[in-house]
Amino acid sequence: MALDHHTIATGRVGRGIIGSVLSGRLVWTLVSFLSLLALWALVAGLLQSRLFPGPIDVSAKFMTEAASGELGHHVGVTLLRVAAAFFVAMFIGSAIGIALGRAKGADQFFDTWLIFFLNLPALVTIILCYVWFGLTEMAAVLAVTINKIPNVAVTVREGARSLSRDLTEMAEIYRFGTWKTLRHVTLPQLAPFIAAAARGGLALVWKIVLVVELLGRPDGVGRQLYDGFQLFDVSMILAYAIAFILVVQFIELAVLQPIEARVNRWRR
Amino acid sequence: MKNGQQAIRVTVARKAFPPVADRPEQLVLSGVDLAVEEGSFVVLTGPSGCGKSTLLNIVAGLDKDYSGKLEFGHRDARLSFMFQTPRLLPWRTVEQNIRYVLDDDDADADAKVAAILERVGLSASANAYPERLSLGMQRRAALARAFVVEPDILLMDEPFVSLDDPSADSLRALLIELWNRRPTTVLFVTHDRIEAVMLATRLVRLGGTPAGIVQDSEVKLSPTERLDREKVLAARLRLFENA
Ligand SMILES: Nc1ncnc2c1ncn2[C@@H]1O[C@H](COP(=O)(O)OP(=O)(O)OP(=O)(O)O)[C@@H](O)[C@H]1O
Ligand SMILES: [Mg+2]
Repeated sequence: MALDHHTIATGRVGRGIIGSVLSGRLVWTLVSFLSLLALWALVAGLLQSRLFPGPIDVSAKFMTEAASGELGHHVGVTLLRVAAAFFVAMFIGSAIGIALGRAKGADQFFDTWLIFFLNLPALVTIILCYVWFGLTEMAAVLAVTINKIPNVAVTVREGARSLSRDLTEMAEIYRFGTWKTLRHVTLPQLAPFIAAAARGGLALVWKIVLVVELLGRPDGVGRQLYDGFQLFDVSMILAYAIAFILVVQFIELAVLQPIEARVNRWRR
Repeated sequence: MKNGQQAIRVTVARKAFPPVADRPEQLVLSGVDLAVEEGSFVVLTGPSGCGKSTLLNIVAGLDKDYSGKLEFGHRDARLSFMFQTPRLLPWRTVEQNIRYVLDDDDADADAKVAAILERVGLSASANAYPERLSLGMQRRAALARAFVVEPDILLMDEPFVSLDDPSADSLRALLIELWNRRPTTVLFVTHDRIEAVMLATRLVRLGGTPAGIVQDSEVKLSPTERLDREKVLAARLRLFENA
């Protein structure tokens, strides 16, 4: 009797998973991914060129790099730089954005500055930082941070401009004070804007960090890509590119999406 | 209602909104002088757009751009304001919304919040987010928030509009109950004349452009008379005869 129940229950669970997988997005992701892989293998097989390795060559390279610890080291170093630049830029950019969104005078005054920095090519900031501060870790992270701050500031400023006056008045009446108001009234209203800045910003920071590494760092994924280019080692370039994509996707799925879900819990 | 001490004294010599785009400057209030006795329930009425909310915002200290004077009986009078919309923080639960208006170092916060939630009948919804509740329940939460700080002065700007009659009635009953339990000076804005008579110990009518006080009457009804529909209707006719 108990056994029967158990079997039935398991059967249900089994069908449930298969059913949801068949109807869900997962299948499409899988189909899409496998066809890309197949196309790649097909083209590589037709070309038979050292400069266009197929999936098997690339995964072999990936495995050796991973086994030697090289891959982990370089991806880790890049990740650290991304994290440092990202958090510093988010913090400073949000603070600037809130200030500009609240104080009209400051906004008008600094608008030109913001437009200047927004339009400054990333490469210029990177070169100038290296020229002025030397080929150092600090200069590298600083260059990325400076590139990202204006984007964050502009996005968060938009949110700060549209803060609810109703709620600000409520907080004033009930004597919330600065800290409570920021934490419970202001920041939750800015959350969607900060999330948008974080998303757009992360994509930007990833790419700029690679260039920074390529131009003036002895390690990191950007450096490895450069070495691969020098040696015409396309397998290596692709192996690192794939490692990079995997890490970015992992952070998207395991970090950003859960945070967004949590922040949006209260919505109907 | 003790010894007729003044809780609020507000004089507005002139309150105007500055011109915007194509609209000229708007003079809204002029020559208003209102003294509110401690423990009284003052209902403020008047035609739509005459400046009732403007006056309430001045008393609340939210609007400081006027010529006149605002004084409170207590040096550091504690205010609560129940707005026309509940103005709850949608990203915080009902319980958090009420807790945050208490001081962080209030040792009795838990007990106070639990007690007031019980009183307004929201214990079961303590952990719900406000937007998932009905408007009536949100208003209950706003009422709980207004009372939990044990205010000296309670300002209310049409707090029960756009509710169905039973919900409005039960909220009014709740307000009366809370007010009896802990007498507070109330300044209450409404369009509803029945509601005005039911609640007020004093009725103040604004009118004219710019608006001033055109009527100021005591409402002498006992608590039982306020629940008697005949008595309330009669008092309404008397109080609003030249409205
Ligand atoms: N922020 C503002 N800027 C310009 N004019 C305003 C502003 N707020 C209110 N007014 C004007 O002041 C006048 C009084 O507005 P108020 O909201 O005080 O009226 P009210 O008596 O509360 O009306 P109601 O009963 O409809 O709520 C109105 O004519 C309105 O157009
Ligand atoms: Mg109004």
